Amino acid sequence: MGKLFLRLAGLICIIALPCFAFSQTKTVSGKITDAKGMPVVGASITIKQSNQGTLTDADGKFKLNVPAGATLVIGSAGYRSQTFKADDIAADAQIKLEEDVAHLDEVVVTGLATAVKRRNLANAVATISSKELSGVAPAQTFDAALEGKIPGAYINANTGAPGGGISVKLRGVTSVYGNTQPLYVVDGVFVDNTGTSAGVNVVTSALANGAITSNNAGGTQDNPSSRIADLRAEDIESIEILKGASAAAVYGSKAAGGVVIITTKRGKEGKTKVTLSQDLGQISVRKLLGVRHYTDANLAKDPAASPSFVAAFQAAEAAHLPFHDYEKEVWGNKGFARNTVLSVSGGNAKTNFYFSASQKDEGGIMKNTGYRNSSLRLNLEHHLTDNIKIGVSTNYINSSADRGLTGNDNAGVTVGIALSSTPEFAQLHPDASGNYPNNPYAASNPLQTIALMTNNESVNRFITGLNLEAALQKSRTSVTKLIGKGGIDFYNLETNAIFPGVLQFQAVNKGTSIQGFTKNLNTNYILSLVNIFTPSDKLSLTTSAGLTQETGDYNNLLNVATQVIAGQSNVNQAGALNALQTRIKYQNEGLFVQEEASIIDALMLTAGVRFDRSSNNGDVAKYYAYPKAGISWNLTKMNILKGDLFDNFKLRAAYGEANNVPAYGSKFTAFNISNIAGNPGLIVNPQQGQPDIKPERQREFEAGIDFSLFRGKLGFEFTYYDKTINDFLMQASLPSSSGFTSAWVNAGNLRNRGVELGMNARPVESKTVTWTTSVNFWLNRSLVTKLTIPSVPQGSFGYVLGSFQIQQGKSATQILGLDGTGGVSKLGDAEPTFQMSTYNEITFFNKLSLRFLLHWKKGGQNINLTNLENDFGGTSADYDNVTNKAGLPDGFYRITQVGSDAHEFVQTSSYLRLREIGLYYSFTKLPVSYVKAIRIGVSLNNFLTVTKYKSYDPEVSNFGTGFSSGVDVDPYPATKRADFHISFDF
Amino acid sequence: MKNNIAIYTVFLLSTGLIFSSCKKDYGDLNHATVESFTSNATSSELNNLVSGTESGLRNNLALYLDVVGIIGREMYHFSASEPRYVTDLLGANDATLSNSNFYITNTWASRYAVVKNCNILIEAASNSKLITSAQKNGYIGFARTIKAYQLLMCLNQTDSNGIRIDVSDPNNLGPIVGYDDALTAIASLLDSAKTDLSGADIAFTLAGFGNFGDAAGLTQVNRALAARVAVYRQHWDDALTDLSASFFSLTGNFNMGVFDVYGTGSGDQLNTFFIPQNQTGEIRLAHPSYAADIEANDDRIGKATLRTAVASLNGLSSDRDIWVYTSSTAPIPIIRNEELILIYAEAEIQKNDLADAVTALNTIRKAHNLPDYSGIVSQAALITEMLNERRYSLFCEGHRWVDMRRYNLLSQLPVDRAGDDVWTEFPLPVSEQQ
Repeated sequence: MGKLFLRLAGLICIIALPCFAFSQTKTVSGKITDAKGMPVVGASITIKQSNQGTLTDADGKFKLNVPAGATLVIGSAGYRSQTFKADDIAADAQIKLEEDVAHLDEVVVTGLATAVKRRNLANAVATISSKELSGVAPAQTFDAALEGKIPGAYINANTGAPGGGISVKLRGVTSVYGNTQPLYVVDGVFVDNTGTSAGVNVVTSALANGAITSNNAGGTQDNPSSRIADLRAEDIESIEILKGASAAAVYGSKAAGGVVIITTKRGKEGKTKVTLSQDLGQISVRKLLGVRHYTDANLAKDPAASPSFVAAFQAAEAAHLPFHDYEKEVWGNKGFARNTVLSVSGGNAKTNFYFSASQKDEGGIMKNTGYRNSSLRLNLEHHLTDNIKIGVSTNYINSSADRGLTGNDNAGVTVGIALSSTPEFAQLHPDASGNYPNNPYAASNPLQTIALMTNNESVNRFITGLNLEAALQKSRTSVTKLIGKGGIDFYNLETNAIFPGVLQFQAVNKGTSIQGFTKNLNTNYILSLVNIFTPSDKLSLTTSAGLTQETGDYNNLLNVATQVIAGQSNVNQAGALNALQTRIKYQNEGLFVQEEASIIDALMLTAGVRFDRSSNNGDVAKYYAYPKAGISWNLTKMNILKGDLFDNFKLRAAYGEANNVPAYGSKFTAFNISNIAGNPGLIVNPQQGQPDIKPERQREFEAGIDFSLFRGKLGFEFTYYDKTINDFLMQASLPSSSGFTSAWVNAGNLRNRGVELGMNARPVESKTVTWTTSVNFWLNRSLVTKLTIPSVPQGSFGYVLGSFQIQQGKSATQILGLDGTGGVSKLGDAEPTFQMSTYNEITFFNKLSLRFLLHWKKGGQNINLTNLENDFGGTSADYDNVTNKAGLPDGFYRITQVGSDAHEFVQTSSYLRLREIGLYYSFTKLPVSYVKAIRIGVSLNNFLTVTKYKSYDPEVSNFGTGFSSGVDVDPYPATKRADFHISFDF
Repeated sequence: MKNNIAIYTVFLLSTGLIFSSCKKDYGDLNHATVESFTSNATSSELNNLVSGTESGLRNNLALYLDVVGIIGREMYHFSASEPRYVTDLLGANDATLSNSNFYITNTWASRYAVVKNCNILIEAASNSKLITSAQKNGYIGFARTIKAYQLLMCLNQTDSNGIRIDVSDPNNLGPIVGYDDALTAIASLLDSAKTDLSGADIAFTLAGFGNFGDAAGLTQVNRALAARVAVYRQHWDDALTDLSASFFSLTGNFNMGVFDVYGTGSGDQLNTFFIPQNQTGEIRLAHPSYAADIEANDDRIGKATLRTAVASLNGLSSDRDIWVYTSSTAPIPIIRNEELILIYAEAEIQKNDLADAVTALNTIRKAHNLPDYSGIVSQAALITEMLNERRYSLFCEGHRWVDMRRYNLLSQLPVDRAGDDVWTEFPLPVSEQQ
C-alpha cells in the first residue's frame, strides 16, 4: 500500500510540475554578520510571498535575483529576522542580525508538515539548542541531558547505573497504567524507547511487573536502560518539546505523553568543516551514606543485636581482624570516561551532508560496570530540482552497558541489599587463590558478586529516516507541496546475565545464565499535501492533509539456564533451561487535515482534526476523532499596543485532543503455560481480557501571554494549561477470588493543571562581557475527577511502607500509608510543589565562556526503602544515635515503626542542584593555518546538590519509567562527573 | 485552486481506499486464549487445562507454608530483603496483618486462580462434543475435588472472615461465606465430585498422583480430603466413613498419598521452600521450641538439622535449619497416609473409642523411634498427644496453626519477643472488601 501511494504521488508530481519565472529582475548581494561582525553562515534570504530565496555561504555572503519592488526577509536560527525592500539594499550591503534573545523568530514545528514562527505560535513549545543540550557539562546519556531544561517536565533518573534510564513526564502524569513517556521523533522517525529486562529477576526474585508498568515490556524492577539513550547528544541540532495534546494532537496515538522532536545536524553550503573533539573525565559516586561503627557499648543498647552477632563482633575484635567500609569499597570506584567525536559537514547549492563518527566509553563507580557507545551518522540532503528536495538521515549505533546487580530484590543477592546487612567486621575478601568466603550476614558476598557476575545489554541499532519535499504547484499566490517523511528504527538487543555456580547465592541453582535476544522493528510514515495560499500580504492560508501509519514489531526471547557447567555461559551448557518469548505487534493509522490562517501576520488561527485507529483497540476498525484548534493574537503587530516598551506582545490559546492506545493484548484473556513433570499445562492468566477496550483520550487547553521588552532583550512567557485524561486506562484490581487479579479498564478521568513561567534576558551586554540568562518556573497539580472502579493501593509495598493510590477527588500521584494512629492517611505526593531552573552563559572578550544550569525541585516525596533496608540489616550510619522519644537506638526505633507508621519511608525529595557548569575558552587566531579554531574547557556535572533526602540521591526511580516513579530500594547510586574538553576545527 | 481541489480529492479518495482495505488485528501472539477453549475443546486441550490446574497448585505454595508455619510458631523465615516475615507475621511491636500485603493477597490469588482454571475446565468439558460422557465426568470430578481443596486452603488463612464460594462469573461474584457455611459448601463440593468420579473415565495424566490417577484412586483422594474437612467440621462419624473410602491404612506407608511434584524441566517449577543447610541471609529455620519440646530419640528431629552457626535476625534466633524438603525437587504433600492415621486417631478420641486411638498414635510413635504412649488415657490427654504427634509428623506441611486454632489453643503457642502476637486469622484481601 505504501508503494501504491508513492506511485500515485509520483504521477501527481509529473503532471503538476510547474515552472514560473518573474519578469524584470534585479540582483542583490551582500554580507550578513552578527552584532560583533562575525559572518553568519546559512542565513536565509527569502522573497516575501514566494518560495524563492537563497542561503549565505561560509563567508556570510549571498547573491539573489529578485523581482523589482520585492520585499526580502533575512533570518537565521537564533537571530531576529529583518525585512528589507530589495530596492533599498545597496550592492554588497553589510547587514547585521541581532541575536534573538526571546526566540521570537525561531521556527517551530506545529503540524506534521508545517511550521510557524514562535512569534505567532499558539502553544508554549520548549526548545533546547545544541549548546544547551551538550555544550555545558555532558550528562550520562542523551536523555539525562534534558533534565532541568524543559519547563513543565518532570524528568527523573531511574538509576545511576551506566547506560542510564530516565523517566520523562510532560505536564503531569498523562496516564496511570498506560504509557506516560513522550514520543521521540528523530528526523521524522518514531524512535522506540522500550525498556527490555535482562531477566535478572530470575535471581533477584524481584517482581517482574511489581510496579505500575508503562511501556516496559519486561520487568521494570530490573532497571532496564531507556533505549532512547542510544542517541548521541552531539549529533543533535535542536530539540522541540510538544508538551501536550494541544500542540501534539497531530501526532495522534502516540502523542498523549507529549512529543520530543529531535532534529539532527545538517551540513551548510560552503567549505567543508571538520571538527574533532575529545572529552576526558572521571565519574565518581555523588554521595555515600556511611556505615555503622560497632562498639560493645552500642551493641549492648541494641535490642536487635542477637547474642551470636555480638559474639561474632567480639571475636573479630579480639582477633584484630581488619574492619572494612564495604560501602566505600563497592561504590568507591573512579570510572574513567572518554568521548571522541569526529564530525564533517559541508555542501554546495544542491547537496549538503553531515557525517559524524563517535565513541564514548565510561567506567562505573562499581567495578566491572560501564557503558560504551559507538555511533556513525550520515545526513544527506539533495535538491533534485528546484522543486524537489530529498533527504536521508542514517544512524548506526552500537551500545553496550554493564549494569551490575542492584535495586530491589527478594532474595538478598543485589549488591545494595547484601551490603545492608553486612557489618564492617565481616571478612569478605578472597584468599590468595581467589576464593571468596561466604558472607555469613547476607545471602551473597557483594565483592564476589561484583567480581564474578555479568549483566550486560548490548544493542546494534539502525535508524534511517527519509524525507521528500516536492513543490507540486507554484504561483504568486499559491504553493502546493507534497511532503513525505518516514523511516525505520531497527535494533537487535542482547542481554547477557551470567551468575557462575561459585557465587554464594547460586548454591541451589548452581550457576545461572540468562540470555535475552530482542528484535524490534518500528516503521512509520507521514504523507501530506500542504497548500500555502497567500491572496494578499494580509492573509495567508496553509492547508494540510495527509495520512500516517506506525507499526511496531517487538520480539523478545529470554532463555534462562540453571545448573550451568562451570566456566560456560551458553544456555545449552546447563542442566535446566527455560525459555520465554514475548511478542508485541501493532499498527496505528491516522488521517488528518489542518488549516492555519495568518491574518496580517498578527492573528494566527489553526484548526485541525485527526482520525485514528489502532490494532490494540477493542474495535480495530473504528476511527476515533481528535480535533485541535489554536489562536494567537499579536498586539504589537496589530499596533494595538504602541510605544517602545513592548517589542512584542502576544496572547494565545490552544486546544487539542490526543489518545493513548491500550496495551497490546489487553483485549484477551490468556492462558499461561506451565509444565509439570513433562505435562504441558495451561492456567488462566491473572489479567482478565476486556474485548471492548477503548483508547484513553486526552484533552488539553492552554493559554498564555508572551511579551518581550527592550528590543527583545528581555522576554517573558506565561502559560496556563488544563489537561484532562478521559477514560484513563487502569489495570483495575479485581477481587482475586474471581481468578483474576487485574483487568485493563477505562477507569475514570483525571486532570492536570499547571503553570509555566519563563524569562529570557541579556542583562549585560558590553564589549567585554555578555551575560544571557533564562529562568523557568513550573508546577503541576493533578486531580482524579472520576474513578469508576474501587480504589486500592497500587504498587507492591502496601500501606505498611507507603503506596500510590488513585482516589476520586485526590491527587493522582498521592502516596498513602499507615499514619501511626491506626489509620491510613496521605503521607506524600510524587508531584513536586514546583520546579525552577536557570541557564546562564557569561562570555568574556568573546573568548571565555562560563555556562551553568541550576535546577531546584521543591517538594514531592519518594518512597525510600534504602534506609529501612540498612536499619533492618543493622548497618545504617546513624543506627546508634538516640533522637527518638522511646530512647531506643534510632535504627531500631525506625524498625519498630514498620507496620504501624510509614512516615519514615515517605520522604521529601527536594533538591537544589548545580546540574551542569562548564568553562570554555576558544582560540581563533592560531599559528598554523590548517587549524581554524581550538576550544578547551572543563565541566562538572551533578557536582553540587543541596538536599535533606536520606538516601543516595533524591532523583531515583527503581521501578522504572511508569507512573510509580520515586521508589528507592538500594539503587545503583547516582554519580557525578568531571570532564576536560578539547576540540579542533579544521 | 481548482487544481488543488482535484489533487485533494484524488488524495483523499486513494487514502480512503487504502485504509478501508487493511485494518489489522494481530490477535494474541503470546498465549492461547480462554475464549478459544470454552466452545468445543479437544481432549488434548482439556488435558492441558488439567495439567495447568495441577501445576497451579504449586504457585505460592511455599509462601503459604511460610505464613501458616510462621504464625503457627513452627518456623522463622529470615530474609535480608523482606522484613515482613519477622514483623507483621509475628506481630512485632505494633505491627498487624495488612489486607494489602503479599502474605494474604498472593496466596489467595494463586488459590483462586486454580479455582478459576477448574471452572474453565468444567465449562470446557461440559461444552465439548469431542469426549464421552464418562470422560466428561472424569474431568469434572477432578476439577471439583481440586476446587474444594483450594477453597479449604483459603479458608485456613481467613478462618472466620470466610471465603467466596460462588466465583464462576467473574463479573458477578457470589457473597463471602462464613467459616461454617464455607466448610459445608466445601464438603458438598467434594461429595458431588465423588458422584462425578463414580464410573468416570479418566482421559488425562497427573504428575503427582502416583497410583491414584485413575477414577478409583481419585475417589480415594477425594475422600481423604473429605475426611480432613470432616474433622474440621467436627463430624467425627463422617470422618471415619470418609477414611474408609480413602487410601487410609494403619499399616501402610506414611508417605502413601498425593503430592505436588517439582522438576527441572523447561517451564517446570522448583520447590522454593527448599533452602540448603547452613545458608545465610535467605533462610528458613525451625522455631527453637521444635527441638526444645521434642521427646528424646524421636527421629523427627531430623526435620530440623543443627546449623554450624546460629542464625539471628531482629531479636529472633535459631540454630536449626528446616530439613523437611531436602532438595529443590522434593515433593510437597497434598495429603498423605500419616495425616489420615492421625485423623483416624482424632475421630476415635472424639468418639471416645480411646483404645483404637492409642493404637493409631502408637503406630505413629513406633515408626518414629518412640516407645508406646504411656500417659493417661483420657480424651483430654489423648487430644494433647494427638496434637503433639500432628505437630511433629506434619511439621511444615501447613497444619500446626490450623490445629491449635481448631482446639482454641493458640494462646499456648510460644511468643518470642515482648509485644509479639499470635494471629487467629488473616483479613480478607483488600480487593475482596469492595
